[in-house]
Amino acid sequence: MNMMTPVKIHRHQKETTSLIGKKGKIVVWTIIRIATKLFSSQAPYPVVIVKLENSEQIIGQLVDWQEEDLKAGRLVIAVLRRSHTEDKESVITYTIKFKPL
Amino acid sequence: MKIIMSGIIGYGVYTPIYRIKISEIASVWKKEPAEIIAGLQVTEKAVPGFDEDAITMGIEAGKTALSMAGVSEKEIGAVYVGSESHPYAVNPTSTSVAEYLGIGNDYFSADLEFACKAATAGLQITLGLLDSNKIHYGLVIGSDTAQGKPHDVLEYTASSSACAYILGNKKNEIIVEVLDTSSFSSDTPDFWRRDGERYPSHFGRFTGEPAYFNHVLSEGKKLLEKSGLLPTDFAYCVFHMPNGKFPRIAAKKLGFTSGQLAPSLIVNTIGNPYSASSLLGLSAVLDIAKPEEKIFFVSYGSGAGSDGFIFKTTNRLKEKQKLSASLKGQTKKKIYLSYPEYLKHMHII
Amino acid sequence: MKISVLGASTTKFGELWSVSPRELARTVFSQALTASNLKPQEIDALFVGNMLSGILGNQANLGSLFAEELGVYVPAFRLEGACASGGLALHSGINSIRAGQYKVVMVLGIEKMTDHTQDEITHALMAAGSDEERASGVTFPGLYALIARAYMQEYKVGEEDIASVSVKNHYHGSLNPKAQFQAPITVEEVLKSGKIADPLRLLDCSPISDGASAIIITGDEKVKKRHSKPIQVIASEVATDSLSLCDRKSFTSLLSVVKAGDAAYKKTGLKAKDIDVAEIHDCFSIAEVIATEDLGFSRRGEGASDIAEGKHTLNTGKIITNSSGGLKACGHPVGATGVKQIVEIVEQLRHEAGIRQVPKAKIGLCHNVGGSGTIAVIHILKA
Repeated sequence: MNMMTPVKIHRHQKETTSLIGKKGKIVVWTIIRIATKLFSSQAPYPVVIVKLENSEQIIGQLVDWQEEDLKAGRLVIAVLRRSHTEDKESVITYTIKFKPL
Repeated sequence: MKIIMSGIIGYGVYTPIYRIKISEIASVWKKEPAEIIAGLQVTEKAVPGFDEDAITMGIEAGKTALSMAGVSEKEIGAVYVGSESHPYAVNPTSTSVAEYLGIGNDYFSADLEFACKAATAGLQITLGLLDSNKIHYGLVIGSDTAQGKPHDVLEYTASSSACAYILGNKKNEIIVEVLDTSSFSSDTPDFWRRDGERYPSHFGRFTGEPAYFNHVLSEGKKLLEKSGLLPTDFAYCVFHMPNGKFPRIAAKKLGFTSGQLAPSLIVNTIGNPYSASSLLGLSAVLDIAKPEEKIFFVSYGSGAGSDGFIFKTTNRLKEKQKLSASLKGQTKKKIYLSYPEYLKHMHII
Repeated sequence: MKISVLGASTTKFGELWSVSPRELARTVFSQALTASNLKPQEIDALFVGNMLSGILGNQANLGSLFAEELGVYVPAFRLEGACASGGLALHSGINSIRAGQYKVVMVLGIEKMTDHTQDEITHALMAAGSDEERASGVTFPGLYALIARAYMQEYKVGEEDIASVSVKNHYHGSLNPKAQFQAPITVEEVLKSGKIADPLRLLDCSPISDGASAIIITGDEKVKKRHSKPIQVIASEVATDSLSLCDRKSFTSLLSVVKAGDAAYKKTGLKAKDIDVAEIHDCFSIAEVIATEDLGFSRRGEGASDIAEGKHTLNTGKIITNSSGGLKACGHPVGATGVKQIVEIVEQLRHEAGIRQVPKAKIGLCHNVGGSGTIAVIHILKA
């Protein structure tokens, strides 16, 4: 059951748009190896909590990463990426993820 | 020669961080890597992240183009995204990209498809809107995550990237003038993809002479004739790059030198990112071009057609070059994939 | 008015394939009633703690459902606070008695998880988190892994000390016939088990379990006489904190636990050192480490080493934590845990815990947490 319906996605869009391109530092990180159904085809993937320049903390996947990027203090930038594998009929969900700079 | 008022005021490129070597693919099918590399003149190709698509890449390229142009998002009056891999069959890529770029609601928009020349067709449409003063600024993006069928020859070259151009009609903002544009179109079934099919189909050697070369050379000759210019009048030439061989042959046949062509040949390390191919080649040239230099440009889209442009750089290009998120800079860090990892990224397994 | 626990019963926790939720409830209802010398008709209300029934099995309306199993259609309520659902059910039951609305109340904690796949359960458990957390692809173990990372970064503690939580709890579980896992494990085995969400490994994580626990509570002095050893609930406190882990002030302490714990200590005039036995919500090994510090049993940064040194282990420690085996070894049927913790403490304070008896146990504490620390329920009981 996908919690992100088209209506919810539309409602969240302004917030998502405003985060694209924001920079921050990794506070804590983990690698998800056993994922939920929606994300299982992507596992293993890192999830990080990032402290943005405005002190806001955001949780998101780390993408385009290598081992050495997984450390507290690593500089990252927020990008828009596909969220997870949907079935062939659903609306595609995009979400904020982080990329090492 | 027609006088076109509008031109390029900014550009942005985006290429994914992942690569796969042609030799890695070749070894899976027990082919001689050296032979494939020499035949196609490509050594590696760009592979999208598992979670990247034409929309996410289009946004990245669009963002850097906007920042180079120094134009406010809300002033963009047209958004056209050309792709062969629009995420939806029905639901516009262009408005998703526009929304995430903060472009507002006052813009003309449509998704374009014409194989690898969808975006260059978008340039022509936008120039029309600009020259008729219907809009002041337009955003055109070529963005693809091209699929190549495993074991097919296209597997070595089908790649992913995005390239965005901001066009405007204020003379003092133009960094690259468009001196002329024209197209050569026909109904030629060299390469196609049926609705619902994941992989495109093609007709082998038919994609060469009767398809790519017929259109590129016909358009190229037409452009030269109409302009009264000679190949020697140009500093650079850019052609669509389905592989490294075809543009080299096209350039030679039209009378251009390898030196004029070389800077545009992104295909060697990116592969063929379809709708972004010729546009990326142009951006590589714009990154190094000097003021008042002419650039000869012919794209190609299967099915088939070629869009030709004669560009001329202005002295406003130099300061904008510093703002370029250049391909060179982006490819400093690369992550190489094994073949199974590549298949995962392409959603094939 | 003093609220006391009369009958207290729990089923075995584990993969109970052939036992339905209704059967689980009937079992513990019947045992709790018998031990209290009460008939179903003497129960005034039923409070049910459960998290996943609606999400996994599309069955809501649990008040009525389990009243049916009690055998009498009393006023019935379901409380939900993720993994703190059980504790919340008890807290609400107590409040209803204090309000004078009901006299004798049955509190049921129940969860049936094994009817569904690992994938579905992992997804369902994230209902305890926020939209942002779900969109990020983080799992419940992932959230605690981030907490573990923060703790290890701040206090320079390694995986080995944190692993000692699971070792202790498996040892205790081996003494508990109701526990899901009754085999002891070693630190080496924990560190060799597969990674779930770095740095948490399989043996750092509580299992998927089925089970039910029920207790009967009353404030009526006459009814209390029906049971030979009523145990008084002297504190029942609840506190919340932000839904998203990102919005917490600290990742190495659960403020909701500190708030509820402090309120419970204040209400009773007790201090941490007065606690003899405690059931701690060790959904993940790091959770117990931090709880030990949040409840004042250990100094900041020393929770893991204290546990590793045996300071909370039966026979070697002073404040014995998770004599039942905790969530790790006893099992964690999510909605049942909060009530099972009460059952364990009640048995300890009645000196009926057999080989896992904490000698001279007089005061017990139950620590029940929902989500990544979004809500905490603390109970203190006295013999």
